[in-house]
Amino acid sequence: MSSTDAPDRFDPWPPGIEPDVPIHGYPNTWTFTPAQPLLRRPVTRTEATGPLELQRKLPCGDANLAQPAPGRIAIGQLMHISGRILDEDGRPVRGAIVELWQANAAGRYFHPIDQRAAPLDPNFVGNGRVRTDEEGRYAFFTIKPGAYPVPVKDTWWRPPHLHFSVLGPSSLSRLVTQMYFSGDPLNALDRILNSIPDAAARDRLIARDLPPAEVGDQWLGYTHDIVLRGRDATPVTP
Amino acid sequence: MTGASAPGAPLPPTSQHTIGPFFPRTFFQPGDNDLTIVAHGAAPTRRGEVILLRGTVTRAEGLPCVNQILEAWQADAGGRFNHPLDPERHLADPDFLGWGRAWTDAEGQYEFRTVLPGGYAEAGGHRAPHMNITVMGAGLMRRALTTVFFPDFAAENAVDPVLTIVAPSQRARLLAVPDGMADGVRVFRFDIRLRGDAEEETPFFED
Repeated sequence: MSSTDAPDRFDPWPPGIEPDVPIHGYPNTWTFTPAQPLLRRPVTRTEATGPLELQRKLPCGDANLAQPAPGRIAIGQLMHISGRILDEDGRPVRGAIVELWQANAAGRYFHPIDQRAAPLDPNFVGNGRVRTDEEGRYAFFTIKPGAYPVPVKDTWWRPPHLHFSVLGPSSLSRLVTQMYFSGDPLNALDRILNSIPDAAARDRLIARDLPPAEVGDQWLGYTHDIVLRGRDATPVTP
Repeated sequence: MTGASAPGAPLPPTSQHTIGPFFPRTFFQPGDNDLTIVAHGAAPTRRGEVILLRGTVTRAEGLPCVNQILEAWQADAGGRFNHPLDPERHLADPDFLGWGRAWTDAEGQYEFRTVLPGGYAEAGGHRAPHMNITVMGAGLMRRALTTVFFPDFAAENAVDPVLTIVAPSQRARLLAVPDGMADGVRVFRFDIRLRGDAEEETPFFED
């Protein structure tokens, strides 16, 4: 990464984009979320920097979640998800680490904490990690996840969603988010998605459907760009 | 997707969500919580004093938080970052990563292995040696950000431009506490209280 690549200006989150917490009907947010006012601090070097070359620590390349080995194909609707990691100036974030994890087609995670009575799929673990290319692109083959009920009193169903964890070039560009599918009736009822106050910000968490002409006719196709915080304080004039 | 916007207008950043309870265990490898190693199989850095930072993450009522994901970021022993925004990057320790990830066990405990960070001067003042900690987990829709300082550096702590933002009565809760030795290195304890009253809760910073 050259010095001109690294964002060095970090504006506060624009209003309406950050989730409004704690969330009614999501009990854990009432015992985990800090109750005292967050302290505003200047953005100094330690916040603007972050680890580079993290692929040396976090091995990348697991981009095919739908077929862990030849001939072993996960159950579910095969899908391809791709997109770009951008900064707030729309510049591609090269070399970002993108981690994806999700439930299987029955809405169950391959995780010891998920003990719900729904089947596990021996051919689906449901996580992968890649590094963005020179254009900030990432891509995964996977299956469309199922919905699942949240194990709380007065439950609700989480709509099908993918989890993304993105490690960009600075501590302040670190982002953990979720991606949803258009047209799912559970989206309007999801207490997590709807904790985002701004409707346009919620819409930006929904992947765009791609037609078979663009992605092929063997799998569903989606594209989803993710914008990390950070701008270039002194952009180079072309 | 981002809608049409005027040329040059910033794109709004993507909203944060909780990391949830199911961040894959299979994403972790031994050594992920060791900041002194840049890659698996690499030799640890030989610069600086190796230390362990240990603590317990708790929530309202002081109950332990299981399965929280913590990430650490800090300067090397000389106070430099291997990053283009550090004007002394060329002097940064090439064998020190400065980043690590851990998760809390059934008792809510985490551990990082690192070196005692160095302080440094920058435009906003002199930064005391410190370690940035991010906490993520189920119930945390937004990550919680805090910073650990060390009691060895009282003079630097007294003028640190971030620590001095914290009310004087609260600053002690951002100081790691010496907690003996383990495996021949000093241990520091830094407990994190995510939610509590003003006298209990760890000070957290805006994202």
